Amino acid sequence: MVSQHGVKLAVYLVSSYFGDLVAKVCECLLRKGTLPLRSIIQYTELHERQVRNCLLVLIQHNCVQAFAIEQQGGFGEAPKVITQYMVLFDNIIHHMRFPKFLEIVLEEFGKECQEILEGLLQHGRLSLNQILDRHKGTSSDSEGNCPAKDAVEVCFSRLVHARYVERCPVHEPFLAPPQDETGAKKRGSKSAKVTEELTTEQRALLAAAPMEASRFLVASYADTDDNEQESEENLPSPAVGEKRKQIDSKLDTEVGTKKRKKEILWRANFEEFLRHLRNKACIANVRARFDDGVAIVLNAILEATRCSETKVKIENSVPLLVNSIFEEVIKSEDGRTMTLEHVRAALVELGCDLPSISIDETYSIDLKHIIELAQNEEVESIVLKRYGMEAYRMFRLLSKAGRLLETDKIADTVFVEKKETAKILFMLWKDDYLHLEKIVATGSRQAHFLLWKVNKQTLWGHVLDEMYHAALNLRIRTALEQEQGKEILQLPKDKLVGDLEKRHSRLRKARILLESCLMKLDDAIMLFHDF
Amino acid sequence: MSRSQDTTSLKRKREDAQQTKTPESVLLSLIKSKGDMGIWKADMKRETNLPEPVVNKALKILQGRNLIKEVVNIKSKGRKHYMAMEFQPSNEVTGGSWYTDGKLDTNYIDVLKESCLRIIKKLKVATTEGISEFITRSRITKNDCTRQQIEEILNSLVLDNEIIEVKSTGLGEYHSIPIGTECYRAAGGMGLGQGVRIGAMASFPCGVCPRLNQCTPDGIISPKTCVYYTTWLDF
Ligand code: SF4
Repeated sequence: MVSQHGVKLAVYLVSSYFGDLVAKVCECLLRKGTLPLRSIIQYTELHERQVRNCLLVLIQHNCVQAFAIEQQGGFGEAPKVITQYMVLFDNIIHHMRFPKFLEIVLEEFGKECQEILEGLLQHGRLSLNQILDRHKGTSSDSEGNCPAKDAVEVCFSRLVHARYVERCPVHEPFLAPPQDETGAKKRGSKSAKVTEELTTEQRALLAAAPMEASRFLVASYADTDDNEQESEENLPSPAVGEKRKQIDSKLDTEVGTKKRKKEILWRANFEEFLRHLRNKACIANVRARFDDGVAIVLNAILEATRCSETKVKIENSVPLLVNSIFEEVIKSEDGRTMTLEHVRAALVELGCDLPSISIDETYSIDLKHIIELAQNEEVESIVLKRYGMEAYRMFRLLSKAGRLLETDKIADTVFVEKKETAKILFMLWKDDYLHLEKIVATGSRQAHFLLWKVNKQTLWGHVLDEMYHAALNLRIRTALEQEQGKEILQLPKDKLVGDLEKRHSRLRKARILLESCLMKLDDAIMLFHDF
Repeated sequence: MSRSQDTTSLKRKREDAQQTKTPESVLLSLIKSKGDMGIWKADMKRETNLPEPVVNKALKILQGRNLIKEVVNIKSKGRKHYMAMEFQPSNEVTGGSWYTDGKLDTNYIDVLKESCLRIIKKLKVATTEGISEFITRSRITKNDCTRQQIEEILNSLVLDNEIIEVKSTGLGEYHSIPIGTECYRAAGGMGLGQGVRIGAMASFPCGVCPRLNQCTPDGIISPKTCVYYTTWLDF
């Protein structure tokens, strides 16, 4: 479930990127869940044509995934296949991280690759031909066409190879009805078991995803039949396939030409970027808590296991032999001076136990723990700023204890007078930072005890919602500041004298500050939502 | 024997005793029976059924003979509590070893905290014993503090995020401490003891705003008109 302010932020983002109409359709899906076209039209009270166009924009930008399911017909009627549209909340929010994604590619692969990614992010999905065309249009040094084209293709392959770019999912996969025995059998009994536990949305995403083998496969671009093949793989019966194609072609007349349909479409692989950002966050966290050496070792481990990871949310890094870790460490410039002893010490600091016998000495880092510590730190810093040092201590005590503690015990541990302690605890409880339980003891001198606890599960959700809210506010204010200062910011340099110059520099400073806060806040949102 | 008979006989015994005993001796034995917890004056009245002036007079006499003393009870500072001379107020009454005369001795705590932090920064890593010894040797405090007290101080420094708990790796800085022993280090890898880091939410107005709940894009409280931003962006 997406939180209240998560929806608001997503709608605001969509409206600022694609306009109010698209935002309206998007909001409808965010609030009501997956819907067929008819219901969207009904809820939004827009024309069919408008809704269709909005959906196409959202699909193009990977914010909506369509899928077809079979629905029981009325009495005596044959079952119907209808198309459902599901909104992809995470992908909408990723839009505000585009600058970070571009930065990553620039750092790793340079300007050319960055330009390709920029095109993909701007347009959502592109075929290789479109990427090449776009490059022709934008590149300034268009002397010899052919070598430039080759260079672009090389860059493109590098991006795909690094998994930053992937093939687009199938446009509209067909989901066999879950009770359909034959359909389930075809997939094999094991996968049938898995599908049972998944929601329709999750099944649709799985069905739409390109197969792992072809996901990052750059084929020569004469081979354009791929989409067709894939859609056939996902269709259990030819009869349904027929119907699906009908729907498809209906949409396709709007999307573009037939030729385009046959080309493989590519898009940015957000998952890989998020993994990269997660690693960065973990490394920064251990660097701050320990030292550079520990950070270098963690970095090396994550670099070496990069290709074996499959998800963003993983608990532990992939196990790695100590020798492989050491090799990777000394590859980097900063790690060159480290000894094996050094590396082992760092591993211990990262929470690993040294084995007593050193055969097959493998290590795996508890990344979940690092993420949790970073999350704690963020929430604690909010508590400190909002409620002061004493509240901060109490919160940390309860958060570390992970269980109920009594008021007096808390007061004793944090060195605060008991009455004052109770007052602060109540304040935190009122704002949902603490959970409170009252216990009435019979027969004892004290009639009742107050027990306090940090309930991380609910609190984290609450904090994340506040982050979405704060991010929305920050964006609104940033837009406003920019709007108000537009004229001054656009003035040519020679006109900026005296008072105008002062205002100009103030506006620029404000913008830098606002934007850097937003990026930092976005890091925190990822920390709580994606990592 | 049945229960009711038991209590009636007890009552009779008590009545017999009261006839022969003075109010002072009645109160003294009551106060003594409360041990290191002491007793509130109103409770004495209730338990002995003696009128207020009699109790007051008796208490004065007992105090004059140095048999009882007045103590501050941390839970109800305004109420007069009494305790027999031979007892030391329990932690429950005083509030614990950090309380003097019913008040939290923050000065003493702060001095200890500061010293512990300085010692840890100096030693880089240290165990509780190490710190305890250091304090006793250098006579930082007038009266001796127990290991328990030092532990409480260290615990609070951990909560302040000034120091962190680590397990010795037996390597490098930890070479003098056996592997696996709990010890303490100043927090922050680069700048020692940098304390709390400011998080993302804490670095701009909305993140820590008490009005966040009521703030909407077009409401009375709104980011478009927010004065917190105006002051924040006023360079
Ligand atoms: S915009 Fe202003 S009033 Fe609203 S939450 Fe942010 S700081 Fe508070």
